[in-house]
Amino acid sequence: MKIELQRLVYLHDLLRELVVRDLKVRYKRSVLGFAWALVNPLMFLTVFYFLFKVALALDIPRFGPFAFTGMLVYTWFQSSVLQASGSITDSRELIRWPGFTAPVLPVVTVTTNLVHLLFALPLLMIFLFFEGTVPGRVTLLLPVVIAIQFVFTLGLGYLVAAGNVLFRDIEHLMGVLLQLLFFLTPIFYDISLVPERFQPMYRLNPMMHLVQAYRVILLDGTSPTALSLLQLSVLAVVLLVVGHTVFVHLSYRFVEEL
Amino acid sequence: MPPAIVVEGLGKQFRRYHTDRPRTLKEVFVRRSYRLRAVERFWGLHDVSFAVEPGEIAGIVGGNGAGKSTLLRLIGGVGRPDQGKVRIRGRIAALLELGTGFHPELTARENIFISGVIGGLTRRQVAQRLDSIVAFAELEKFIDSPLRTFSTGMQLRLAFAIGVHTAPDVLLVDEVLAVGDLAFQKKCLERIDQFKSENSAILMVSHDMGQIRKLCDKALWLRRGRLVGQGDPDEIVDQYVAEMETETRRHTPIDWPARIAASGRELRVRENRFGSMELEIAAVQILDRHNRPVNEIRSGEPLCVEIAYSAPKRIEAPTFGVTISTEDEQVCADLSTAAAGISMPVLHGEGRITLHMERLDLKGGLYYVDVGAYTKNWDYAYDYHWHTYPLTVLPTGNNKGVLHPPHHWQLDERPQ
Repeated sequence: MKIELQRLVYLHDLLRELVVRDLKVRYKRSVLGFAWALVNPLMFLTVFYFLFKVALALDIPRFGPFAFTGMLVYTWFQSSVLQASGSITDSRELIRWPGFTAPVLPVVTVTTNLVHLLFALPLLMIFLFFEGTVPGRVTLLLPVVIAIQFVFTLGLGYLVAAGNVLFRDIEHLMGVLLQLLFFLTPIFYDISLVPERFQPMYRLNPMMHLVQAYRVILLDGTSPTALSLLQLSVLAVVLLVVGHTVFVHLSYRFVEEL
Repeated sequence: MPPAIVVEGLGKQFRRYHTDRPRTLKEVFVRRSYRLRAVERFWGLHDVSFAVEPGEIAGIVGGNGAGKSTLLRLIGGVGRPDQGKVRIRGRIAALLELGTGFHPELTARENIFISGVIGGLTRRQVAQRLDSIVAFAELEKFIDSPLRTFSTGMQLRLAFAIGVHTAPDVLLVDEVLAVGDLAFQKKCLERIDQFKSENSAILMVSHDMGQIRKLCDKALWLRRGRLVGQGDPDEIVDQYVAEMETETRRHTPIDWPARIAASGRELRVRENRFGSMELEIAAVQILDRHNRPVNEIRSGEPLCVEIAYSAPKRIEAPTFGVTISTEDEQVCADLSTAAAGISMPVLHGEGRITLHMERLDLKGGLYYVDVGAYTKNWDYAYDYHWHTYPLTVLPTGNNKGVLHPPHHWQLDERPQ
């Protein structure tokens, strides 16, 4: 029991050190530093605002926070999966270190990008405030949705991290697929604008449901249905179990393949 | 007390793949190249069994590709053995690739935390040891400077300091003791000795046979993945060195043109010259303080040995050695680039390497300067000139004893 607790403390410290290292290294010697975590989605948002509100004139109320929520949620997912695919192949020396816990590496990528999301969240709240939305008690559900997305992303992260060791294509493939999925997820448009006959296909995309869950909580101030949260949780947990199993199964080959 | 490391029938297979093994999916689909399977398997390690007790230092010797590093990694739990098993009692730590996890942009303090945690400590344990680590590395003044401002030597000192502060039950050491200046090396060896007295089991790989003889309680000899001997370090090292001599003889060409050396003596292969000749020692000159070729000096004078080499093929990191011995084979000095901690580059073409001795305080008499160039791991010699370069040392005054050290007398008198 005591040994297990010690192990947990150790894993926490390891995760923390690696995440802090990633964050520090990324913004070292840049003038804006952590603000870059905000600048990126804001620049996208500005262009979207111009495209869809001014040029194409879509009729979506509170378009700013609406699109920003989608941007943040999807950016977390996209960056995590992309970086996870390189997390093993880029860490040769750590993988070859006796006693190193390799499964921590994809957790590090997902967590690092979660920190970016958390940094941007207050900005989103300010947006909402100016649009007249004050966060209610339902906001307490937000951590639950974040946890579901974390587990879901990590499961996928394990799969691509291990797969990329065998075939370096995975990294490039994910780059393209995630970019395409970005357009096929209702981020800067609403699902209701999609013709009826395509909607069943849209519903197969878990990211759509996740983005919707965030929006229901933040923009509408209501709770997502218990059923949809349950479905998402089950999917996320199953994916994590499968991903982790595949990862551990392949991890003995990492040393030889790197 | 049960052993700290038990290795039983350990084996590891390596796969050699087709050189055109697909590394991307495109190749699998487009070229229909399904050569995903290894064409050939070979045992990188085979049927290796031994045990290391707590408080014992075991040294692994063996040539290039003998499986030394593979063995250390398997014991460290990196990779899965195909045969046999490894049992470890207690916490394991390693001094393998120093500076794992280091990032040049972060400060020494930040790097200590990262590297310490990767090495198996919790943050609290690192914090407790921080002062001691910094003091050991002698980097107190630079603790908050970014690592990129450190010299390589400073970085290695820091890495080693972190490594030795993890207080393991089992410590794996791979060839890292050759780093840093002599004073720091001494400190590291003392620290390893302290681990031993604290009942840690230590398994080390070294190419320095002197180190194996001096430090280790037992030696393990690996040859092409198999354990061919284990036991008393002196015995194993003697056997290993003897095999190297046999190997050198085996590599020595049967006919190779004889030539006259600078000393006037003839160099004949298999008589006073041995080696594979992949790298040739083209000329050797013994120079005095005025850089004049000599064959005699006065005791206490400086001496240079200038070795001109020629490497028609690329030779990776050869070792150069010079020994000075008496006619009856008593070795008075045994100096090598490896023992001096010099990492040699790849040599290709011609060049010169010079050994500078600030003073040679031998007693008067006739000596031989034997010169050799060896493979990186001392597997065999490329070229070795035996008893070809005589050196007469002229005595200064009394000529008893082996050594005539620089000295003076001082009298402190307290008259009544």
